[in-house]
Amino acid sequence: MKKLLQKIISTGVGKFRFAMATLGMGVAVLCILFALQLFVNFTQLLHGKNNQNDIADFLVINKMVTGATQGQKEKSTFSDADIADLKTQPFAQEVGLLNSTNFSVSVESYSDALPFYSDAYFESVPDQFIDVKSKEWKWTEGQRDLPVIIPSFFLDLYNTGMAMTQDNLPQLSMDALSAIPIKISIKGKGQNVEFVGHVVAQTDRLNSILIPQSFMDWANAQYGYRQSQRPTRVVIKTNDPSSPALVKYLDGKGWKTNTEKTRFSKIRGIINLIVSVIGGIGFVLLFFGMLVFSLFIQVTIASCKTDIALLQTLGTAPSQLQRFLMGRFLPINAVLLVLALALLALIQAWAKQFLAGRQIILDAWLSPFTLVAAFFIFGMMWWVNRSTIRRYINS
Amino acid sequence: MIIRLQHVIPIPLKEKLQHRQSDVWNNALVFNTGEWVKIKAPSGSGKTTFIHILWQLRTDYLGKVFYNDISADAINPNAMAALRQSELSIVFQDLRLFTNLTARENIELKRVMTEKPLYEPEKIDAMAEALGILNILDQQAGTCSYGEQQRIAIIRALMQPFQWLIMDEPFSHLDNANIKKASTLIAQECKSRGAGIIITDLEADDYFDYSSRLQL
Repeated sequence: MKKLLQKIISTGVGKFRFAMATLGMGVAVLCILFALQLFVNFTQLLHGKNNQNDIADFLVINKMVTGATQGQKEKSTFSDADIADLKTQPFAQEVGLLNSTNFSVSVESYSDALPFYSDAYFESVPDQFIDVKSKEWKWTEGQRDLPVIIPSFFLDLYNTGMAMTQDNLPQLSMDALSAIPIKISIKGKGQNVEFVGHVVAQTDRLNSILIPQSFMDWANAQYGYRQSQRPTRVVIKTNDPSSPALVKYLDGKGWKTNTEKTRFSKIRGIINLIVSVIGGIGFVLLFFGMLVFSLFIQVTIASCKTDIALLQTLGTAPSQLQRFLMGRFLPINAVLLVLALALLALIQAWAKQFLAGRQIILDAWLSPFTLVAAFFIFGMMWWVNRSTIRRYINS
Repeated sequence: MIIRLQHVIPIPLKEKLQHRQSDVWNNALVFNTGEWVKIKAPSGSGKTTFIHILWQLRTDYLGKVFYNDISADAINPNAMAALRQSELSIVFQDLRLFTNLTARENIELKRVMTEKPLYEPEKIDAMAEALGILNILDQQAGTCSYGEQQRIAIIRALMQPFQWLIMDEPFSHLDNANIKKASTLIAQECKSRGAGIIITDLEADDYFDYSSRLQL
């Protein structure tokens, strides 16, 4: 029976129409999935971890010191209200406080080959705001070694400036620097303590000498002059450092951040526009894809309409026909979907390779979102097929 | 199976048929199991309409049709299909073959439509030989002559189990020798099943041993 039905349906007058409809549906499915994958790719390019400009995402904010405020140190600190207000801003995804030492610190060299001494201060910030990861970046009470992160421009300044102009100073690589122990002396509440510092990493994100938060909390409690100290700098994590709202907010408050990062805003505007246009085209594509898709399912079934009618006249049960027709059309739809996915996977792999040469990182594989969409489309195919077949059989 | 017609009259032909004398239209009529009924139907008397009403291809009629006391309008499409697969069989006037299938495939379709076929496939050849169309079995039905197609349609109707064989001018394109062969085969098949026949034709005839003759 199945073999005969197959012959009737596939050799009917609608053979050419059937082929065209299948082709059309394939194109429609491809359009839909392509639009989705394109959308995922763009989202990934704009917000994905690999492509995020790590510096641009974190802004260190401080209050501006002007002629009017320069005598009053407390005017440079952030109040709880300031911070609470900042946290409610849409551009601030996370807000972290930079704590600074509340006691005297000096650093000096143990070695004569690299003699130095300086008064200093440290800051700390919650770990999630630090972009470099180091196994040594931890401190527990009783530990004499103290890990330190320095801003990368320190080492650059030293190597390109200081070491070049002073005959007796060697240039230092990061590895060499991290091997050098530094004597850190702390003075406060009438006590003197000594720690051995190690530079464990350098960062571009925060222009400050950082020590672990755990050490900061302990040392401030132990040696701090004051009970508590207000932060003078805060760091915010933001999706969009060039957002006009952010720039306006900071200007209004008289606060300051790295203007270089916010200057990016015009280019961002253009990119946003391009992405929106492409997204819009994607949606139009999606809409037409869906339309073509449902029309073509109907056409494929309509192409066998007379045969279906004759089969019914002869006594084929609607349930028999429905089972057969579903078995006839659904596998074709499944094959179309798999082919479309395979083609898209190829395009994606090629695009990854092509863009990698331009420092743009894409996933090599189709996104799970696209695959889920493919399943969803298959569900829809099932439904449209079923309802169309039912309509034809019952009419 | 008993087929009962209760004052059936097709709506489009209502005006025309109401003023005619007819044994069928607008009458109470019972076809009892195993009856062989000849319905003589002059042109324009609604012969094909009658056949289509019996087969439930048309439902635009007044009155009621019952199959074993079940009203036709209470039978759902799947149940109707079951009737057409094992209770009723038909030879349409316009034959209704799949022209792109071979003669054998057309017959085979009806053989395998029921889950448990009544006959083995060899029966197709046996019947085709009896009706003299064995040589065209593997030819596309569309390329066969009308007479040959008529015999294909007859064999197709005989391939399934049935209680009633409904035929609409089944021999219109056959010569007397071939009519004889066909009617013999049909009579034999109906007898073996204990099945009834309802046959319509333009003129009176003696193709079968009729138990009743009606005028449409």
